[in-house]
Amino acid sequence: MKRLKEFIVEWAVKASGIVSIVLVALIFFFLLKEGIFLFKTQGAGGFLAGRNWYPISEPPGFGILPLVLGSLLVTFGAALISIPLSVASAVYIAEIAPGWLKEVLKSTIELLAAIPSVVLGFIGMMTVVPWIRSTFHVPTGLTAFAGSVVLAFMAMPTMISIAEDALHSVPRMYKEGAYALGATHWQTIRRVILPAASSGIVAAMMLGIGRVVGETMAVMMVTGNAASMPKGILYPVRTLTATIAAEMGEAVQGSDHYFALFAIGIVLFVMTFMVNMAADLFLHRRRG
Amino acid sequence: MEPVIVTKNLNLYYGHFQALKDVCLSIGERRVTSIIGPSGCGKSTLLRVFNRMNDLVEGAGVTGEVLLDGEDIYRPETDLLRLRKKVGMVFQRPNPFPISVFENIVFGLRIHHLYRRNKEMLHGIAQESLEAVLLWDELKDKLGRLATHLSLEQQQRLCIARLLAVKPEVLLMDEPCSALDPLSTGRIEELMQELKKNYTIVIVTHNMQQAGRVSDETGFMLLGELVEFGPTERIFTAPGDKRTEEYITGRWG
Ligand SMILES: Nc1ncnc2c1ncn2[C@@H]1O[C@H](COP(=O)(O)OP(=O)(O)OP(=O)(O)O)[C@@H](O)[C@H]1O
Ligand SMILES: [Mg+2]
Repeated sequence: MKRLKEFIVEWAVKASGIVSIVLVALIFFFLLKEGIFLFKTQGAGGFLAGRNWYPISEPPGFGILPLVLGSLLVTFGAALISIPLSVASAVYIAEIAPGWLKEVLKSTIELLAAIPSVVLGFIGMMTVVPWIRSTFHVPTGLTAFAGSVVLAFMAMPTMISIAEDALHSVPRMYKEGAYALGATHWQTIRRVILPAASSGIVAAMMLGIGRVVGETMAVMMVTGNAASMPKGILYPVRTLTATIAAEMGEAVQGSDHYFALFAIGIVLFVMTFMVNMAADLFLHRRRG
Repeated sequence: MEPVIVTKNLNLYYGHFQALKDVCLSIGERRVTSIIGPSGCGKSTLLRVFNRMNDLVEGAGVTGEVLLDGEDIYRPETDLLRLRKKVGMVFQRPNPFPISVFENIVFGLRIHHLYRRNKEMLHGIAQESLEAVLLWDELKDKLGRLATHLSLEQQQRLCIARLLAVKPEVLLMDEPCSALDPLSTGRIEELMQELKKNYTIVIVTHNMQQAGRVSDETGFMLLGELVEFGPTERIFTAPGDKRTEEYITGRWG
């Protein structure tokens, strides 16, 4: 009887593992199957390095370089804004804030994490976009920068709470050792606590960025959706995800446009995969 | 001989709980003084008075005097950071920082701004400190290694080396061998005899044989009181207090 139970459980676990692997493989093959047609007519070079995305003009242009750059620009900007702010906030919460404030801040941040991305996009549209327009005197506030700010806000709750966990779980004995050597609080944080928590902090940052790399709605609402080569952080851009979301409805099934959108899917898939691989490699190297 | 540390009517409270009661002792220069006593009697608390680590405990209060080289370290104008540089501490569990061996040793130099960006000098001091704890030959090619990957004995030696780098006067050791095997313990004890030539050492230990082997003076504590303090040999052969006698003859846990 017991053996049978073991057997069933073991197989149930194995089966779910296999199913999830098969599902991922199927999704990938579906993407590949639909996307591959594009490369027959366009060629991978023209697709990846082409500077023109005119999917419905005649002749059409299916170069996604502006979209890739748009995505990179927005994400990179978001990382640049959110990483220092998150680390600083996490240090403040874990090390500096008095007990009651700590609890208040932690629950507030959890609340922030629960805001749906459309709502954040909307708030960004109403606040960040006009602010950018008036502060930097640009014709429109719908820019890559606005996307970065909104994404940064979206990434920060994850980053802060995981980084705070990492800082909080640094063993007390390290702190005591530093104090006993005559270190100040700040020296202890900078030279002992941060290094001790570094792999957890890096993981927090990666997870935060990972959460927003594929983000679509909010970005679409504030970046201005111009599928041209990005000229800078204060110009409208279009991301890969926004392109799929915006154009999937109007693309005729079986057309080159339709296949091109799937090909973008493949590119996104590969990009996310590489980010995750990099994160993994980094974490393992630090531990090893 | 001038004593390095003197306490007069030292009381310590954790909130309402009195952990040290009227402790009076004086600790001689370049000697090993051991503090023994049953668990919870206040040994660690007493040790942490000498570098004011108790300041980190919320609600801890001290009355009485603690003189280090004749100056009361509990005066408000005491420079805590300098005090802790002068009075180093080794903990029960070896606690090297999770950074490289080299960075561990020069940590004190960096935080006290003692090096003037001179790489050679840093290296020299690192070598000196490691040699002083007999670790240089083992680790000279592994200075870049993560310190937390060393063996426990090496870690504890490194923690001592890290103190020596800032040239302290007093070394406080709170059960420094309790995480180590007997062989490592023996070697750390030898090291203490070596260090005694240059430093004043106060060691807390549960192990009476260890106190007998390493120390010149011994203090016996019970429930926050320093019951007896004197030359180790006398404490162990002719204790003046009945409670001391009961403890060293093993009628306590
Ligand atoms: N932070 C603290 N807050 C309140 N009470 C404390 C604190 N630290 C220690 N105590 C109490 O003070 C007394 C002395 O503790 P201490 O750690 O000095 O004992 P010890 O002799 O070092 O014991 P052990 O041999 O177990 O290490 C104990 O009764 C303990 O419960
Ligand atoms: Mg203790």
